[in-house]
Amino acid sequence: MNLKELTRRQLFGACGIGLGKISLASLLSRDVSAADSPTPASASAGLHHPAKIKRVIYLFMAGAPSQLDLFDHKPKLVELEGKPIPPSVIAGQRYAFIQPGAAVLSPRFKFNRFGQSGAQIAEPLPHLGEIADDVAFIRSVHTDQFNHAPAQIFVNTGSPIPGRPAMGSWLTYGLGSDADDLPGFVVLKSGGNLSGGAAMWSNGFLPGEHQGVAFRTSGDPILHVANPAGISRQTQRATLDLVSDLNRRRMESLAVDGIRSRIESYEMAYRMQTRAPELMDFSGESDETLAMYGTKREDTGSFAKNCLLARRLAERGVRFIQLYHSGWDHHSNVEGGLKSQCKATDQGCAALVKDLKQRGMLDETLVVWGGEFGRTPMVEASAALGRSLGRDHHPQAFTMWMAGGGVRAGQTIGKTDDLGFHPVEDAVHVHDIQATILHQLGIDHERLTFTFAGRPFRLTDVHGTVIKKLVG
Amino acid sequence: MTCSSPAGLLSPLRRLTLCVLVCAASTLVCAAGRLVAADAQPIDSSGSGQADVHRVDFNRDVRPILAKHCFTCHGPDEGTREADLRLDTQAGSRQDLGGYQAIKPGAAEDSELILRVTSDDEDLRMPPADGHPPLGEAEIATLRRWIDSGGQYEVHWSFQPAAEPSLPAVENPGWCRGPIDRFVLHRMEQNGLSPSAEADPVALIRRVYLDLLGTTPTPEEVDRFVDSDRPDAYEALVDRLLASPEYGERFARSWLDLARYSDTNGYEKDRPRTIWPYRNWVIDALNADKPYDAFSIEQLAGDMLDDATRSQRIATGFHRNTMLNEEGGIDPLEYRFYAMVDRVATTGTVWMGLTTGCAQCHTHKYDPLTHTDYYALMALMDNADEPELNADPPAVIEQRESIQRRITATEHDIVKRVLLADDGDATLQAAWAKWQAERLEQLSDWQTVAPDQMESTMPTLAVLDDGSVLASGDATKRDVYSLTMPAIDSDKPITAIRIEALSHPMLPAKGPGLAFYEGRRGDFFLSELEMSIGETPVTLAVGTTSVPGAKPGNGKTFPGNLFDGDGSTGWSIPGDAGQTHRLVIPLDPPLRLDQAWSLEMLFERHYVAALGRFRIDVTTDEHPQAMQISSDLQRQWLASKTSGQVSPKLKQDLALEFLRGADEMAEHRKPIDRLRNQIPDDVRTLVMQERPESNRRVTRRRHRGEYLQPKESVDAAVPEFFATDPEDGPRDRLELAQWLVSDANPLVGRVTANRAWREFFGTGIVRTAGDFGTQSESPSHPELLDYLDVRLRDTSVDGIGWSIKRLHREIVLSATYRQSIGTPPSADPDNRLLSVFPYRRYDAERIRDAFLSGSGLLSRQIGGPSVYPPQPESVVQMAYGNTAWPTSTGADRYRRSLYTYSKRTAPFAAYTTFDAPSGELCIARRDRSTTPLQALTLLNDQMYLEIAEGFADAAVRDAKQSGSDAKPRDIARHLFRRVLVRQPREGELDAILAFYRSQSEHERPWMLVARALMNTDEAITTP
Repeated sequence: MNLKELTRRQLFGACGIGLGKISLASLLSRDVSAADSPTPASASAGLHHPAKIKRVIYLFMAGAPSQLDLFDHKPKLVELEGKPIPPSVIAGQRYAFIQPGAAVLSPRFKFNRFGQSGAQIAEPLPHLGEIADDVAFIRSVHTDQFNHAPAQIFVNTGSPIPGRPAMGSWLTYGLGSDADDLPGFVVLKSGGNLSGGAAMWSNGFLPGEHQGVAFRTSGDPILHVANPAGISRQTQRATLDLVSDLNRRRMESLAVDGIRSRIESYEMAYRMQTRAPELMDFSGESDETLAMYGTKREDTGSFAKNCLLARRLAERGVRFIQLYHSGWDHHSNVEGGLKSQCKATDQGCAALVKDLKQRGMLDETLVVWGGEFGRTPMVEASAALGRSLGRDHHPQAFTMWMAGGGVRAGQTIGKTDDLGFHPVEDAVHVHDIQATILHQLGIDHERLTFTFAGRPFRLTDVHGTVIKKLVG
Repeated sequence: MTCSSPAGLLSPLRRLTLCVLVCAASTLVCAAGRLVAADAQPIDSSGSGQADVHRVDFNRDVRPILAKHCFTCHGPDEGTREADLRLDTQAGSRQDLGGYQAIKPGAAEDSELILRVTSDDEDLRMPPADGHPPLGEAEIATLRRWIDSGGQYEVHWSFQPAAEPSLPAVENPGWCRGPIDRFVLHRMEQNGLSPSAEADPVALIRRVYLDLLGTTPTPEEVDRFVDSDRPDAYEALVDRLLASPEYGERFARSWLDLARYSDTNGYEKDRPRTIWPYRNWVIDALNADKPYDAFSIEQLAGDMLDDATRSQRIATGFHRNTMLNEEGGIDPLEYRFYAMVDRVATTGTVWMGLTTGCAQCHTHKYDPLTHTDYYALMALMDNADEPELNADPPAVIEQRESIQRRITATEHDIVKRVLLADDGDATLQAAWAKWQAERLEQLSDWQTVAPDQMESTMPTLAVLDDGSVLASGDATKRDVYSLTMPAIDSDKPITAIRIEALSHPMLPAKGPGLAFYEGRRGDFFLSELEMSIGETPVTLAVGTTSVPGAKPGNGKTFPGNLFDGDGSTGWSIPGDAGQTHRLVIPLDPPLRLDQAWSLEMLFERHYVAALGRFRIDVTTDEHPQAMQISSDLQRQWLASKTSGQVSPKLKQDLALEFLRGADEMAEHRKPIDRLRNQIPDDVRTLVMQERPESNRRVTRRRHRGEYLQPKESVDAAVPEFFATDPEDGPRDRLELAQWLVSDANPLVGRVTANRAWREFFGTGIVRTAGDFGTQSESPSHPELLDYLDVRLRDTSVDGIGWSIKRLHREIVLSATYRQSIGTPPSADPDNRLLSVFPYRRYDAERIRDAFLSGSGLLSRQIGGPSVYPPQPESVVQMAYGNTAWPTSTGADRYRRSLYTYSKRTAPFAAYTTFDAPSGELCIARRDRSTTPLQALTLLNDQMYLEIAEGFADAAVRDAKQSGSDAKPRDIARHLFRRVLVRQPREGELDAILAFYRSQSEHERPWMLVARALMNTDEAITTP
């Protein structure tokens, strides 16, 4: 068959495909090879340039952790405590809850320096301190959105309005997945309510197989992956054999690829049924490993387990693994809130980086940590809402960190003004973060496009530049 | 597109360059993208036959080259136009550039365009070298031939009105059953193909059932059809199906994809909304075959029709299906803007097949749609408020009225018996007397004062007949009402003002506030209150309120909060919406208000919280109090106090008031409360309501499409290139709706016909279903598309006259549709020429509905609120809040799938897995993926297991009824027919029975067989 005559759908059909296994890269490479390219590309070679990494683990801290209390130390806020911020700084900024005249709130914690790089990290994050030299901090991230759902969706899809493809969907669309029997884009969730919801792992208008698969927090991790009560493994196998038999009979008179890919999809489903329990079974992990993640500690809850699961998914070739931990929206008592959320997440995050490093996987994995925006230098208090000593949403500046493949670790990029209000050096927009993640995977964010309803779309809309200081 | 604004990291110029790169589609990936999204077409796609292949066709051959390489800098967008040269218009291409011109007709070698694209000099060569690949040789040759042959521009095919094409001659006219077949066969013959044989009747009846009703025929219906010797058996079947009410349910689902229907608001909280009456309307309209022009006009502007009926208002729910962000702290006007963006995009897709999204941010790069055109189109739709409308079904009205009558009767009976009768309950009568005595002391003479002037930061205020003030229109999180009140002629100084918060049917949940998201709907929050005479502030004292429990320290009800300078405390009414309460604020000291005075009310919350309806009264009486009893009753009572006459009616009303509120009457209230709990909730559906001319909303162009960058105001108009006389063009939403389905819009007929075609063949005549613009794929059968367009618009007796049923009938009666399914020929691997009936998987809802109908479980009830078929709890657990999935029991478990509750942030998993949309975007074409998760769903989802049991039970029943001994082979045969409609072949039966026997240990082996059959490819794909 002449590959040039294939539509994407046919090719996928011919390959028996699902869950984003086949990539645009392999499609493109076939096209290129048909057009006399001597070396067919592969996913690991990247789509547009050689990839530095194979996968991404994105630790999404939903609710927006306070950068001013954890990473971006501003002594000036102590000095100004109780006074309003000059209107010239506020300059018409819209706030979610507070009025622009709200008073300054000083940092809630002591900061310490860690590692050779001397990174400044606040007290509630001691484990992060241990891996400070493996991490690059970006203190100058900013976004367009000042409400949770749109801001979270914006980080994940490049648009604040639900309906666009998620980053993970773009990645499996562009690169496919190395996972044989697991989805290429997996979402894990812990903590409280997640504002952005399913829009953050939606395939949007990309083909359906690129939808992120959110592992369920109760019951089967993947919907219906376990056989229902009363259906044994033997019965399931016999059923699939009958189904396959009947499908093959149909194919005798109807030689369409759709039937072949349906047969394949059932076999893959069966394999997934085997692999899923094995994936979720931590009994093979050493005590050391379990202790490092803290999976047995009460207060780390499911986040630590998700971190370990992330590593296991990474080992199995999953392209994009996203952990959401909700509970960072500290409109009141930012101090107490941070303490408990840091306790729940700090150890797991650090353990994941250490574990990947020990296993030689850190170089090929990009670990990203961050929320959807920052928090105000001003205090939030409201009698009607029963709030005090909190911080409101602050899109102008917040901190993220990255570790692993291709990241120049042990540095802090960007600087904010004395109030931590605006970036004053190396401002990094959310679209730049997206461009950089794609870049590390060998994708030029301006060239990964998909035409929907008459116009080409991309993750970074019409914006975004790769953060050279971070990965150059 | 949403070019949202990061704070100035990139210069505008840089942004534009990037934008150009995206839209130019000229990079390697985009080239691949075309391979991906479109295809390579081995077939001749011109539709005009082999003879014309060498003629250069501007639209087919030239425009794509110019669009790809030139329009970015020399196209419609003035903002990015270079060298003041435009190549998208003939006039532009002929412009004198100083002794030469870009295109010199008939002289390619003298045309600057050719010189530039072929130049060896990098500085001269176009397009510029930075990232733009040069033109290919074939492209240059095409341009040369085109210019040499005159270089004429032609309007893009879809922008030209369709002319009725003549029927093409075909070699095999005997195959054709109607004009459709002539066009289809002609294209086959041009490409050396011939049609397939007619499908066998069993396949045909299953196909046409699934296509017209979305369900499967019963074995009896199949037998009747197969055995019929009527020559018109198929026509009769089609007519019967078109008349079935299930037809409306089937096509409503497709329309709801376009309408982005959902039962929740979307975004973070994703709370429920009531808009199923709109879904009912769609089903009813399709079943009644409401002509597509009226169908469209009512949905876009039913409220603006003369004497608009309730049904026509409900239809405007179409554009109320936009999402509503209820997150705390949002800017509500920003999300209204996003909803408008969605409305423009959806209108463009549905009625024009045009993507308008590009022009939200800048003038379209390819299609002649300017940035201003976009906002002019938005302005046509922008002048509406978005209220709720009572859509109680007659049964609900009847039920409510009946219960209300019983409540009234019961109340009257109780007060008569207990309070009014001489032999009533003496204790309660004493309590009532005490109650009256206390209140009688509190009665004051209140006089309503209507404001002379009203200003507000956003909502529009109007005085109603009773002197109350009604707010409408937009509102923000911090609104201020400034009321100028008239001088009051009074003997004594004014001692207090009274503010009454009142309900109104136009308000969210009837009010009294304007809150429509985040907070309780109908909520308000009065934060601060100031009164002054001229420039002089009036000192106010902490007053009283009828709201219970309003003590100091209560931040939401204590009247003293109004003067504490803290916007986060105030006065409001906790509890249910629709209540009326009063606030009495004394003047300290009392003052004569014998000159104009003013009131300023601040409403501040993290959501919209201004009062929706309120009334201001004043009194000169001493010690006025806020009372719970209604103002009317207070007035009557006061009058009786003066006259000394208590009418029996007043006495009864006071007794009723005592019954409804007093603690002492709690026991007597119980039966009434029980009745009250049975009153069905109002069904209030979301509708559009045009604003009055006096209060037109101003639509502004938004620079780069950003909400925070409003620019000049824009007059309402359709895009200029449609060449409607500006004096004549639509000026409002209704005129837009009428224009969209008029002959002035060349696209609507083709877009509508194309959508219908896709319903039956899986792929449109234009494959890019949502896009008919200059970048769209050429139609596979252009003349057929034009023919269907002309037929649709033809209102003569023989015409289709916008009847969608007639259009569907013509398609399913065609020989093209009746072909058997098969493998596409290698010359046409995509089956664009339809020489076989196309293989495809059915959509999620039809898969389930087919199983429900086949198993006999399907509930045939039409319309109504959404239902909850079983799905794992973990699906909604992923969503925000403690969302429950109240799994339906009984027949509601087995309703048609379009009635399944659609929650945007946790869509019904069994449907999304099969590519069903979540109601976030207008979807003109669903994807059809094949994934292992689909296999797991059909195999293991409890919902499908239940249906499998239904199938098994039915098959056993069938076998018993058919008089056989219910031998396994018989049962298997019945089961097979119920799932797959056709008769099994013997080999298939053998395989099934072998499986059945291997599972004999299982409790429900027939369920296992049914489950296996439901998982076959054939069960979910076209026959």
